[in-house]
Amino acid sequence: MTARALELRGVTKRFDGLTAVDHVDLDVGEGEIFALLGPNGAGKTTLIHCVTGLAVPTSGTLRVFGHDVVREFRTTRRLVGLVPQEIGFDPFFTPHESLMIQMGLMGVPPDARKADALLSTFALASHRDAPTRQLSGGMKRRLLVAKALVHDPKLLFLDEPTAGVDVELRKELWKEVRRLREQGTTIILTTHYLEEAEELADRIAIIHRGRLVVVEGRDELLARHDHARLEDIFVRLIRSAEAG
Amino acid sequence: MSEGWNPVGLRTLFLKEVRRFTKVWLQTVLSPLVTTSLYFLVFGVALGSRLREVDGVRYIEFVVPGLMMLAMINNAFLNTSSSLFQSKINGTIVDLLVSPLGAWEIVAAYTAAAMLRATVVGALVWCVAAAFAGPMMSSLGWTILFGAAVSACFAMLGLLAAIFATKFDHLAVFPNFVLTPLTFLGGVFYSVDMLPEPWQTLSRLNPILYLVNGLRHGLLGVSDVSPWWGALAMTALLSALAAVSVTVVARGTRLRD
Repeated sequence: MTARALELRGVTKRFDGLTAVDHVDLDVGEGEIFALLGPNGAGKTTLIHCVTGLAVPTSGTLRVFGHDVVREFRTTRRLVGLVPQEIGFDPFFTPHESLMIQMGLMGVPPDARKADALLSTFALASHRDAPTRQLSGGMKRRLLVAKALVHDPKLLFLDEPTAGVDVELRKELWKEVRRLREQGTTIILTTHYLEEAEELADRIAIIHRGRLVVVEGRDELLARHDHARLEDIFVRLIRSAEAG
Repeated sequence: MSEGWNPVGLRTLFLKEVRRFTKVWLQTVLSPLVTTSLYFLVFGVALGSRLREVDGVRYIEFVVPGLMMLAMINNAFLNTSSSLFQSKINGTIVDLLVSPLGAWEIVAAYTAAAMLRATVVGALVWCVAAAFAGPMMSSLGWTILFGAAVSACFAMLGLLAAIFATKFDHLAVFPNFVLTPLTFLGGVFYSVDMLPEPWQTLSRLNPILYLVNGLRHGLLGVSDVSPWWGALAMTALLSALAAVSVTVVARGTRLRD
């Protein structure tokens, strides 16, 4: 593995009586596309939230490019981008204004040309100055991706970015993901479309009830299971985890 | 990379909050002005002409500092509480929480924007008052001090209300059940010296009384209580609210999972 983009040791997150993430150890190398898979409620989003600052881990250490996400939160948040699962938008601002604001919040001096370039990349230029509430669901989803990229993060989390998105847009999005990886961005994604993970990911982790069931290179994982479809392997591993 | 601070983020959050209230200026700036003008018409012009002087000043002048304070308190509180609560509801709080902004920067930006809105509304109320009763300014220093500190205090209270609220009903609890009664019983429309005991003594336990009288001292040069007591109460309140707000935001209480 190359230098570590993400290093988790013993990460645990408990909510009232529920352990959402249970002693997770994980390393993700720089420049990887890493798929974090699991059934609903497995702990994928909570784990991502612990790294990105949306959740406070109960215990364990979390490092992004060697920096502690709690003690050096300013440094790590400048390095990390997040496309959240839920679509949120501020009705007061247009897509262009939203990008300019997000740049500023991330500590980058707002740059109108960069905002325009991102809007073009994600086919939102025609809605540059439209009220955000007028955007379709797919457009809002694309705006979320653009917002996550305003500060050129070195580690990008995509939390189910293709949920409710049509086939054409999904293809466009994955094309953009590949382009980002070519530029050196490390990508950690969650998705319920396992064929996409199978096609895109260098390595795959499966999480169930807060614990990692498997972390393995995609090719090794498929080879170990006689090149079965990832979907079949996923079901088999989850059932095995439930039984054991 | 040094941890440092995030001046660009602080400035951006402040400007974002300012643009949020200026985009709906009819609701945020003009609406309180209309309400206050009605107060002047009813209490100042219609009833005031039938009332004797209070503390040596005409009644229409006497009510000006209280009405200014009422407008500033409400607008400072509403600016932070509505903005932060809406961002919790519509999910855009994520944009703030993933940013490299520290707790004090978040509190400072929200508070400064709310102070600006309160100052604009307060200044406009003063202009309306000047149209009805003539311009009044006894001490610019005391006026600015009380105006700024009161706005900051109630902006932070609004921030805390939005953090702890889980539904819109909760946001209305503080202004309706605490703020409005304390304000109306805090000497906005009368001098506490006019009250019989034990109400006079009880009124002196109301912090709003000291704030209203502080501004009254600044504008009219008269006051039921020494402005120094007001300044002391305000310093204590401001320090406590700043400490609590920054601690709550830093811990992520009701903001981060």
